[in-house]
Amino acid sequence: MQEEELQKMEKKSAYELFFDIPVGPQHPALKEPAFFKFRVEGERVVGVDVDVSYNHRGIERALEDRNYIQNIYLIERICGICNVAHTLCYAQAVEQLHGKEIPPRANYIRLMIEELARIHSHTLWLGVAAHEIGFDTLFMYVWRDREVVMDLIEMLTGNRVTTAINTIGGVRRDVSDEAKDKVNKGMNILEERLKYYRKVALNDPTVNARCSGVGILKPRDAIKLCAVGPTLRASGVKNDVRRDDPYTLHDEVPFNVITFDTMDVFARVLVRIDETLESVNMIRYCLDHMPNGDVRIKLPLSPPVGEAVSRVEAPRGELIHYARSNGTKNPERYKVRTPTFGNIPSVSEMLTSKSDYEVNIADIPIVLASIDPCFSCTARMEFRDVSKGKTWIWSLKELKAHCKK
Amino acid sequence: MNFLLELLQILVFPGVLFAIGLAFVYEWLDRKIYARLQNRVGPLYTGPSGILQPFADFIKLLAKEDIVPNEVDKPLFNALPIFALTLSLTGFLALPITDLRGVISFNGDLIFLIVLMTLICIVIMYSGISSANRFSTVGAERAALQLLGYEIPMMLSAISIGILASSMWVYDIVSIQANSGWFLISPGILGFAIFVLCGQAELERIPFDIPEAETEIVAGWLTEFSGRKLALFRLTKDVELLYLSGLVVALFLGGPSGPVMPGLEFILYPLYFLLKTLFVLFLLTTLRALFARLRIDQMVNFSWKYLVPIAILQVLIVRLVV
Amino acid sequence: MSMLKEIQKSLFKKKATVLYPFKEREKVHIPEGFRGKIVFDRDKCTGCLLCARFCPSGACEIVADEKGKRPIFHLELCLFCSQCQEVCPKGAINLTEEFELAAFDRKAFTIR
Repeated sequence: MQEEELQKMEKKSAYELFFDIPVGPQHPALKEPAFFKFRVEGERVVGVDVDVSYNHRGIERALEDRNYIQNIYLIERICGICNVAHTLCYAQAVEQLHGKEIPPRANYIRLMIEELARIHSHTLWLGVAAHEIGFDTLFMYVWRDREVVMDLIEMLTGNRVTTAINTIGGVRRDVSDEAKDKVNKGMNILEERLKYYRKVALNDPTVNARCSGVGILKPRDAIKLCAVGPTLRASGVKNDVRRDDPYTLHDEVPFNVITFDTMDVFARVLVRIDETLESVNMIRYCLDHMPNGDVRIKLPLSPPVGEAVSRVEAPRGELIHYARSNGTKNPERYKVRTPTFGNIPSVSEMLTSKSDYEVNIADIPIVLASIDPCFSCTARMEFRDVSKGKTWIWSLKELKAHCKK
Repeated sequence: MNFLLELLQILVFPGVLFAIGLAFVYEWLDRKIYARLQNRVGPLYTGPSGILQPFADFIKLLAKEDIVPNEVDKPLFNALPIFALTLSLTGFLALPITDLRGVISFNGDLIFLIVLMTLICIVIMYSGISSANRFSTVGAERAALQLLGYEIPMMLSAISIGILASSMWVYDIVSIQANSGWFLISPGILGFAIFVLCGQAELERIPFDIPEAETEIVAGWLTEFSGRKLALFRLTKDVELLYLSGLVVALFLGGPSGPVMPGLEFILYPLYFLLKTLFVLFLLTTLRALFARLRIDQMVNFSWKYLVPIAILQVLIVRLVV
Repeated sequence: MSMLKEIQKSLFKKKATVLYPFKEREKVHIPEGFRGKIVFDRDKCTGCLLCARFCPSGACEIVADEKGKRPIFHLELCLFCSQCQEVCPKGAINLTEEFELAAFDRKAFTIR
């Protein structure tokens, strides 16, 4: 609602009609710090104000001080859950700078690990979303079955979360035959469990009551506000980096782009569960069709002068990395645009009540969780005056005014 | 002598100490069954199989710092936890445990027992309002709305049992069932289901833990309480759980009655009481594990669209039978 | 109501929790290739210093001893990325499967 309308409504009543509820920076609904200030009238939300700069760590500046090999591990730690997507995007950008192709077996292994990470991320999200609506039983069951994926990732890469398997020139480890057997068994178990959870999500009346008709994002608004990932696909827009701009081997491995057309949180739940089932099929295809050969080529430490942009479909959406090299062993400039940053305007839109669509306070956690927020990835720029010891952030108006000068 | 015996009954068994001890055991059972339904362990290490865990939580909270914000209504804020605990313990004293009549027993005490639960909800509302915190205000408002939702069906089902037994005295209701079998449950089966469901709403457990929703409004009306006050509120919730199960047992399942031998009543009656309340506790915990949390408008909608008509139907059925 | 059968079955099934560390320590299965504690073989080291050059967090510090330059590893800074293991030409650095690394004394974290 517009500010003038709110003020008119407030003048008409004799007592205070609206008050502000802060969600964040620390709140049980958020897994990472962000600040949302909601204006509420009783149980109805009339306005929202967003600030996401709490987790700024200066990673882009830190990348310029280390060489290309050391940067793999720093990039991996931008986000714990999407670490495979970040290293994959980085490795692809640097390989583009070198201008070399990696062997096909490395591509298959990269795809397999990427899809395993996608399964991991989506099952983690399903548990968290169930917890946000108060359905702790589903949360516990989904996270129990997520252990299957974590054990597979640990066996293949050496660690459950920070996998560090992508490197510049290929992958660091090979996949043995008994590892392939275990992955196959794991996929069979997972497929059965995921189909059961899909049935639960579709049939349970309380899940339906909390998720249907909530957090609506119309397709036109989604495209206008640059939404990415499952948030966009749940509004019926068929956009997926794996289909539009194929990397690794996504033009050879068959898969479907999942969309739903109900535009609400329920659609996002179903999109993610179905994407997980598609990932299971893709992993099975990779296991069957993996060729023999090397997994790595040796590349020099300093790439030639140039620029590269690489895009990857992270579990949360489209991830863009830009690299510029000046011929030395440190990058000159590196920029990361994470998918959650692109989804923030959409979430502000979803959380504002309009004339035909009401948002309650009770809807806030599940709508926030439905974009799968990873706020560690978001804040990219803040200002620091070293002499005065102050830090501050500019709003869009101030930034535009500064650029015009 | 009689006075001393009564004092012992009020304070020790089946009074305050017994209520508090049994409340801790029931909370442990609730957590253990909830955990097993979710394929995990529950409390494990404090005491044998974790049975001392609720007691350990209580002691820990008593030892923590009690922070009172500057702008709260101090007399109300400090007194409300004690009111809540007193109300639930008073209710427990009126339940029939060692005998077919409770320690407090008078004609018309069915209404008294239902009103006690409403009073506890009003105390909850006041705690939310007196803490000067936005989350508490929202929690208190939700508690009031939820009271509007569940109170009418609950009262109607309880009163339908009173009509069946032609008396508003819990002692009469229990004695009729003790003498002629638990016939009250068969025409009253709808009332039993509604009472258990509304009891879940009164105890503020999932799917109706809306006033205290952890992920939405931090802790709702409980947010500003810490230290001893929080310990007393948590104890109130546990005693309320016990009280509600005891009420369901007294009204629908025949109280502590069952096959007895004439001399051993004072052992067998509490035993039957425990077994029957364990069954009700199992039902309540399964309900807690099955559903997600509803929104407040959905809860009130559901209550007025489905529960109230079924409760009215129950009263009509009872009128036809009597 | 849709999870009712599943949760009732869980009452009688085995629990999914592993009671680590007091009761069921042996049930925690660590796969081969897990990146855990670093083990360094002084005899194989030639002093090429490649490990310190590529360590992302500065956990690999170069000191001199009687045979020449060699690294020592600070486990409290280590990321367990195994880049040093990958880059060492003689295979002197190995990451084992040991993961229980808590200690009371800071000296336990320096691997020589």
